Amino acid sequence: MMQSNTSFENIFKKLGDLKDFFVYGQKLIPILHKILNFMHDTVPLLENVNHSIQDSTSKIPKAARQINNITNATEVATTEILDIVDELALDIADMQNKAESLRKKYGNDKDLNTLLATIEKIKDGVINISIPLQVQDITSQQLFAVNHMIQSIQERLGALLVEFKDKDIQDVPDIKFDFPDELSFNANARYEKTNKSQSLADSLVNEKLKKATQSEIDKLFAKS
Amino acid sequence: MALKFLVVDDSVTMRRIVANSLKTIGHDLYVEAGDGREALTKLISDDSINFVITDWNMPEVSGLELVKAIRSNEKFGSIPILMVTTRGLKEDIIEALAAKVNNYVVKPFTPQILKEKIEQIVSSS
Repeated sequence: MMQSNTSFENIFKKLGDLKDFFVYGQKLIPILHKILNFMHDTVPLLENVNHSIQDSTSKIPKAARQINNITNATEVATTEILDIVDELALDIADMQNKAESLRKKYGNDKDLNTLLATIEKIKDGVINISIPLQVQDITSQQLFAVNHMIQSIQERLGALLVEFKDKDIQDVPDIKFDFPDELSFNANARYEKTNKSQSLADSLVNEKLKKATQSEIDKLFAKS
Repeated sequence: MALKFLVVDDSVTMRRIVANSLKTIGHDLYVEAGDGREALTKLISDDSINFVITDWNMPEVSGLELVKAIRSNEKFGSIPILMVTTRGLKEDIIEALAAKVNNYVVKPFTPQILKEKIEQIVSSS
């Protein structure tokens, strides 16, 4: 009698658990519904993302090529300016020699002295043109840095596209752009006319020279 | 003794600007190299080179690697080296000095700065 009571208790307990499970299941059904709806809505979204990535990746080679074109164009333009500067420098030197000969011939003439001073000023101006032209090297290093970043983005987008391809969401064409293997640039290259970096370099060089001199003195004293 | 410079830079424009600056300050003797490897070849083949002006960022063998290679060479290990670069950060300058460059110029530079540094190196060596 005692044993059959225990069996009934067990059956009622299990029925209670089953009821709880059904109640829980009823509560879970709308949530599962929402998850399914969400997944349903996500598929076109993922396809859009896939299209966007594909589109962006296909534009990268063009962007990289355009950046390379800018670097090449500025280099050509800078070379042309330097050619003109060289020609001007030769003409100025010629002019200076002729003015000097005239001064020797006609003595210390006021107008000739003014002319020579002006020639000297033009000469300095022509020499100084080379300073801003160094911006070509600085900007080309900055552009190399941009191209390097583009290369990293292309690699990551490419990897994502491969993922999509593996999941059969969309057929993806192979988009490749050959970046130069050996790129050496300073991503921090700046065109600054403040001399701040040069002053820093000077102080560090002087510090090192002082230390070197001190160690030489110490060595001398050690010998004596 | 007349100075014969080896101007090392991968940028044709920069090599020309350095060369023009050298001419402006009265130094007409120079040869050029496009990277560290070419520079080492020129140093080996031309005994008359007695001063190196080098950029840092170059393909193949960089300026810093060139400095280290020169300093570790018995034949031309003591040749004066001036680094001319866009790298102006403290750690860069310290790294170059640790590699034993004699002086350091940050681009953009004037012919006057180049003259000062060359004279400073020549007078201290």
